[in-house]
Amino acid sequence: MTLRIILQLALSGLSIGSIYALVGLALVLPFKASGIVNFAQGEIVTLGAYLALILSGLGLPYLAVVPLVLLGAAAFGMVTERLLIRPIVNQPEFTLVIVTFAIGFIIKAAIRLHWQDNTFSIDAPFVGPPLALGALRLNPAYLVFIFCTLVVVAALIVFFGYTKFGKAMRATALDPIAAKLMGIRIGSVFSAAWALSSMLGAFVGLLLGPVIGINPEIGHLILKGLVAAVIGGFSSLGGAVAGGLMLGLLETYAGAFFGATFKNLVPFGVLILLLLLRPQGLVGGTSARRV
Amino acid sequence: MALLEINALSVRFGGVVAVAELSLVIAGGEIHGIIGPNGAGKSSVINAVTGMVAPQSGSIRFAEKEIAGLAPHVISSFGLGRTFQHVELFGDRSVFDNVLTGFYRHQSYGLLAAALRLQKTVQSERETHERVRMLLDAFGLTPFVDTPAGLLPFGIQKRVDIARALAAEPRLLLLDEPVSGMSEAEAEMAVTTMRKLAREHGITLVVVEHNMRVLMNLAERVSVLNQGRLLASGTPAEMQANTAVIEAYLGDAA
Amino acid sequence: MRIRVLLTLIGLALLAALPLVATSYYLYLAELAMINIITAVGLNLLSGNCGQISLCNASFMGIGAYCTALCTTRLGLPTLIGLPASVIISALLGAALGYPARRLSGLYLALTTLGFLELVGIVIEEFPDYTGGIRGLKVPRPEIFGFSFQSNVALYFLVFTLTAAAVVVGYNVQRSRYGRAFDAVRQSPFAAQALGIPVARVKVIAFSLNAAFAGFAGGLLAGVVGFIDPPEFGILVSIQHITFIVVGGLGSIAGSIAGALVLTALPEALRGVQEYGELIYGFILLGTLLFLPRGLVGLVAKVETLRSPKPPAKEPAYGAP
Repeated sequence: MTLRIILQLALSGLSIGSIYALVGLALVLPFKASGIVNFAQGEIVTLGAYLALILSGLGLPYLAVVPLVLLGAAAFGMVTERLLIRPIVNQPEFTLVIVTFAIGFIIKAAIRLHWQDNTFSIDAPFVGPPLALGALRLNPAYLVFIFCTLVVVAALIVFFGYTKFGKAMRATALDPIAAKLMGIRIGSVFSAAWALSSMLGAFVGLLLGPVIGINPEIGHLILKGLVAAVIGGFSSLGGAVAGGLMLGLLETYAGAFFGATFKNLVPFGVLILLLLLRPQGLVGGTSARRV
Repeated sequence: MALLEINALSVRFGGVVAVAELSLVIAGGEIHGIIGPNGAGKSSVINAVTGMVAPQSGSIRFAEKEIAGLAPHVISSFGLGRTFQHVELFGDRSVFDNVLTGFYRHQSYGLLAAALRLQKTVQSERETHERVRMLLDAFGLTPFVDTPAGLLPFGIQKRVDIARALAAEPRLLLLDEPVSGMSEAEAEMAVTTMRKLAREHGITLVVVEHNMRVLMNLAERVSVLNQGRLLASGTPAEMQANTAVIEAYLGDAA
Repeated sequence: MRIRVLLTLIGLALLAALPLVATSYYLYLAELAMINIITAVGLNLLSGNCGQISLCNASFMGIGAYCTALCTTRLGLPTLIGLPASVIISALLGAALGYPARRLSGLYLALTTLGFLELVGIVIEEFPDYTGGIRGLKVPRPEIFGFSFQSNVALYFLVFTLTAAAVVVGYNVQRSRYGRAFDAVRQSPFAAQALGIPVARVKVIAFSLNAAFAGFAGGLLAGVVGFIDPPEFGILVSIQHITFIVVGGLGSIAGSIAGALVLTALPEALRGVQEYGELIYGFILLGTLLFLPRGLVGLVAKVETLRSPKPPAKEPAYGAP
């Protein structure tokens, strides 16, 4: 077990972990804003990839495709929130869960209607042969994943910490009624949260698509995003990022040392253990009520 | 005979001390009031006694049994019931079903007997349904028997809450602000009912209230709480004359 | 008689009479629908009445299916042992899940059940020597005291009888003190505790009961379809089950029946439209959720109140002086 292998695995783990982190972030955002887990998030990732496919097919280069897909996703998120989510916010939990599942189901069905289950590919500037760094072979895509996640996290920190709207969103998440009384348009906050989370999801699709191929099953990723979010207690954006990275590393090392079966078991084992033993996540406060 | 003995009870939430070294004795058969301004710790006392919250220290003895820190449903099975300030009814079920649920503890058939609708289940259900009807009648709730509890006016919901709590046949009933949100007329009727409960059914009542006037009419003894501590205890008249009480509380009398 | 009771009875009568007119394909479809009724009834008790969200209903069906399958194939045991074994083992595993999960609610509970579902799926796939892995397992038709239900009509009536029995049991539990305890736990755990209802224990019972129904349905499914494999018990199927009860009506036996029947028949009805089928299913689902919040039963309830409006109650005086 050489240092080189450990480092390679670490890079692998961090890069896939970055993807998980982004999906986790996309899940925690609307949860903090409107208390809803968007189970369509996986399909939004898929949607991002297919939007990229469409635009690519029109001849646009990858770097032009990216902002267009993000805009499209943001619009999608806002429309979904306004038309489908807001009317039913007061329904019991199952209804909300099923509605987001149904939205995801419709997206996937529509995609499969047109493209069936085939896998497509598109070009991206970061897909290429491994770069050499000393004895390490670094897949440029991995580096891009990590780099992009860092940029996204930095942007979110700036947004939530220093911009007026970002602070308004934090206030709304803490206490929607107080926020409303202070003149914050909470409707806009909800829309923005969903737009942002859709953008994040689509961004993941944009990153993954060129690397693993574009097909309807990409959405299965949501499960990993859920685990990442839970590690962060589902309430902390930083926790979701940390959670995603941890999960990526755990999975990669488990797979390398114990084989594929363990690799598959890791996320769910972690999920169950956390939920049963420490539901507030590894990052989070405690609650007092006993029933 | 002391039915409920609270000794040096302390309840803390994080850094906040809700109840500090509280000692209180409630005799069997009496109507005991607990009043105090907001933040005095009244709800925390109820929550600690009923097991919703575990106390930091101190002892709570009910009928000679130590109950501090036990699970709420265990405490209630010893004969300690409560009503809720915000009612906590089962909103989408009928008034009948709400009160019927109160009899849960007194029905003894098991899951298999329920699933197969054995004779003992049918018997138990028939008897209990009858008792529910009587209880509803005693509280004037019969016209609302099929109405979903969540649709009722607040005052009537409070009555359902009391009827439901009584179904469990408590020896001691803790009433959390039973007349808050009621009109004058409703409050008077509620007081009459509570007095009847104590006299005719022999239930010990502990009434937590803001409204001093109500307690004057109703309670035999009153304990005044302030900032988590017992300020004074005695008859309502004594409390109204007590300068410390007046200072701390009656300044913002109801 | 309330409309919903009438509709339920009509539905049951139609189901009973089906073999007179239907081909074996439609009998098979009806059998699947009835098995879905069983699973929906069990899920509604847990989620509709007791308010505990569960994404792993399909995995309990899987546990029941594989249990019956293994009993009747590898162990050579008769159906009369295989099917009850499915129920018991599922019930035990349901309690095993419900116990540690008793303090969780909402999102965390949903995720725990999701994790359980995925774990069960992985176990099924990673032990092919026992479960047939991803290749699946063939299962013979049920057999009781030597009588093998090879005849389609005989099998149909077996399924019908067992479904009716399950519905009756579900109904009995719902109107017993346990059903009331479930509803109490859902709506106000605090009040439930104050009334002496052991909330945690009730949740475990609800999970166990749900698993028992699902396990029973799964065991039947194995015998009816004749073949089981892992995708039949995955997340999409669990979601399907939830849609049965949400569209049919949460907390209602009639709702479970209606939802299961309608949503099992729907993909079939849409089969003609081929590729658009899935998409239309999704839209119908979404539409029902957005516009019929209380499900099909809610719709019927509205009609029921239109028939016999209650006069507004006046404030009465207290009872005896």
